[in-house]
Amino acid sequence: MIENLSRIFPGRGRGAATRALEPTNLAIAINDFVTIVGPSGCGKSTLLRLIAGLDRPTTGRILLSGTPVAAPGPDRGMVFQSYTLFPWLTVADNIAFGLREKGVPAQRRRQVVREWIERIGLAGFAAHYPKELSGGMQQRTAIARALANEPAILLLDEPFGALDNQTRALMQELLLGIWERERKTVLFVTHDIEEAIFLASRVVVMTARPGRIKADVRIELPHPRHYTIKTGREFSALKARLTEEIRSEAILAAASQ
Amino acid sequence: MKPLAPISNTARIALGVLFFVLFFAAWGYATLGGYVSKTFLASPLTMVEEGWLLITRHGFHADIGVTIWRVVGGFALAALVAVPVGILMGAYKPIEAFLEPFVSFARYLPASAFIPLLILWAGLGELQKLLVIFIGSVFQIVLMVGVTVSGVRRDLIEAALTLGARGRGILVRVLVPASAPDIAEILRLVLGWAWTYVIVAELIGSSSGIGHMIIDSQALLATGQIIFGIIVIGIIGLISDFAFKWTNRRLFPWSLA
Repeated sequence: MIENLSRIFPGRGRGAATRALEPTNLAIAINDFVTIVGPSGCGKSTLLRLIAGLDRPTTGRILLSGTPVAAPGPDRGMVFQSYTLFPWLTVADNIAFGLREKGVPAQRRRQVVREWIERIGLAGFAAHYPKELSGGMQQRTAIARALANEPAILLLDEPFGALDNQTRALMQELLLGIWERERKTVLFVTHDIEEAIFLASRVVVMTARPGRIKADVRIELPHPRHYTIKTGREFSALKARLTEEIRSEAILAAASQ
Repeated sequence: MKPLAPISNTARIALGVLFFVLFFAAWGYATLGGYVSKTFLASPLTMVEEGWLLITRHGFHADIGVTIWRVVGGFALAALVAVPVGILMGAYKPIEAFLEPFVSFARYLPASAFIPLLILWAGLGELQKLLVIFIGSVFQIVLMVGVTVSGVRRDLIEAALTLGARGRGILVRVLVPASAPDIAEILRLVLGWAWTYVIVAELIGSSSGIGHMIIDSQALLATGQIIFGIIVIGIIGLISDFAFKWTNRRLFPWSLA
């Protein structure tokens, strides 16, 4: 799906150009849940923004079901780390935003919104504004807003990064639950190894600058997953292995700065 | 007093009123106590007395009405032109490049200096008064609205793009609602400035309005009337400010402001 993709940010003034992403190849299967994990500055967010079409690659191209990606579009839904709900819209109107842009009739919109509010457990909050919601509730709404649009792939850029640990664990279960039921194609960027393993059916490890893919690990833990697997033997072994992969990278990255 | 420590509502109102009381007390002490000549500064009592006469005998309320009409008329015309232009300037960089240098230049042209020219062009009628206020307000509003719109959070625009919004959709359903509370705040601010322009316009070649009364009173050395006129302007300003704030809170309940 991704062919020879690279991104070089030109240097400022006389500064050297930043090679954020080395030529990278990555194929993502339909309905797969792939997490990309790596130290900060490894180009994982750059990769995601390229796929979303929010940034243009220096070389290479992105194919979505065989069609090249040139600009952002509703076929690639995105959830950001920062809270990006539209503050002037209620929860319901936020979820309906994409459908409205598509020209879906109001009645159908209301129905989809109702379903999603139910699914993310925000019944009773439909008429609330984002500022009245907690961080976790906002990100749940952001996930619903992206998925209500029925994208071919859902991109998540450290969506739970700003949440506290307890909320984050609940959000992981919620997202996984949605994926187990709906079977969407998901690409999830994080720097949290545990989160990467718990959610994914495949973990891609990236190295620091210049960003490359270092390891590609299938996670064979059975579904539906319960949070207790995080303390199981298989999980711990995976975590130890990936931690080692990333640790050596983080040391390199720290040394080169 | 601790820095930034909040105070109770009662204390806030009491302190606010206290200043007014002290102000009038000091004024009364200086004038009634005979420390300042009556010719130069009327006492608060004379001011109230002369103000009462102005309204009952000389139809001052008609002057007040005329002045309010001029401010609101000129300001509304300016807002009608400037807000759309400002939004377009903020949203589209070529329009900004085209208009911004001129508007920045025109903003520094003092509206009061245009009065002789406007009298030549438009005579001494209402049109001339409206034009002074229009010229004084329009460039300020364009520039400030432009800056506000171009400063809309990038991640909100990116979120809208990934939800399928395109050019017009971004403009109408993201940029405009996102900057609406700030635009309302800009209008509130500029309305305050418009009051300054109207009085200047009325001081020169006018036969009605608060400014005209003030100039007439100067010839009669009626300082009480002058001060009464100034205080009336202050009170109207305060009322319009409250009305604006109240409306803004009603219109934009989602905003933090």
